[in-house]
Amino acid sequence: MATNTLTTNTKFTWGGGKSPFSVSYGKLMMWIFLLSDAFTFSSLLIAYGFIRYSFLEPIRNTIVKPFDHLSHEFVREMGEKGLFVKEHWPSPELVFNHFPFIHGVHLPLFFVSLMTFILIFSSVTMVLAVEAGHRMAKDEVSKYMFLTIIGGAAFLGCQAWEWTTFIGEGATLHGNPFGPTSFAALFFIVTGFHGFHVFSGVMLNVIIYFNVLAGTYEKRGHYEMVEKVGLYWHFVDLVWVFVFTFFYLI
Amino acid sequence: MEHTEHLEHTETPSDMKSQIWKTFWILLGFTVVDIVLYFVLLSTHAMWKNWVFIILGVVKAYYIVGVFMHMKFERKALMYTIVLPMVFVIFFVALMLIEGDFTNILRWLK
Repeated sequence: MATNTLTTNTKFTWGGGKSPFSVSYGKLMMWIFLLSDAFTFSSLLIAYGFIRYSFLEPIRNTIVKPFDHLSHEFVREMGEKGLFVKEHWPSPELVFNHFPFIHGVHLPLFFVSLMTFILIFSSVTMVLAVEAGHRMAKDEVSKYMFLTIIGGAAFLGCQAWEWTTFIGEGATLHGNPFGPTSFAALFFIVTGFHGFHVFSGVMLNVIIYFNVLAGTYEKRGHYEMVEKVGLYWHFVDLVWVFVFTFFYLI
Repeated sequence: MEHTEHLEHTETPSDMKSQIWKTFWILLGFTVVDIVLYFVLLSTHAMWKNWVFIILGVVKAYYIVGVFMHMKFERKALMYTIVLPMVFVIFFVALMLIEGDFTNILRWLK
């Protein structure tokens, strides 16, 4: 009987006694968690798509060109010219056209592109940390983890600046000088939810970074913890790809 | 220990590194294409324009999940467990965009 069980175990993938997915339980659970989190983000973005399409399409901007002068009364002027009205969804290039330290210049989507590059780059340093972990190269893992944390913090700083600018122009959860109220409300809810994920990711990365420095994974014999937080970090980047697509491009 | 399992990589470290950087340039390229297309198609208000951006997003997602998250090299069973539910979500996106369009028509009909 005992031998019978043993043959069953080796013969069938799902017979028990080993991982049918050939990954550790921690990694599998991280994947399942990310799938459930993907559902949450999908529902937010689907709601965005639905509400966006229940309004009329943005009015085409023929007045302001990139690098044009941007007055302090820009939002009010555009409203008077009929580009920001309650019935039409606003054109993202007219809403997100500021850049830190550069005043009075129309720079459509420049800043949000920079944010995207920062996040993609921090994803690369994360995967380089994972790769170094496979080689048990402690110094390299800590170097790349540190760069990832810097990237995440830079992204959060950018988002804080973006929010401050947007709020400064009069956007709130219940009011929006650019047009439909739901535009601002959805922006704060979705980018806020994503920003919270980035914040959690930076915190996790900091914890793992200190563990790497302390030699915890060196003693354990593998750097799988770095891989697990890496999965989470790439997911945050992945969500940004879609937030970027839906909010700024569509 | 079960942890020895994930050390069974077939790629050498330099292979993996070059693949990572290649993926980085691909992602960067697609992002630039995204932004350029946005300004090229600024005056177009057709549904296909949104699908161009959504498909570009899915292509970027393929590279992030496949290479960065290592999904390409995992077992097929794990791949389908995670990827298949998301395919249905894309179907859901399509349904709700069409539904939103109808709501739009109803809103301005009155």
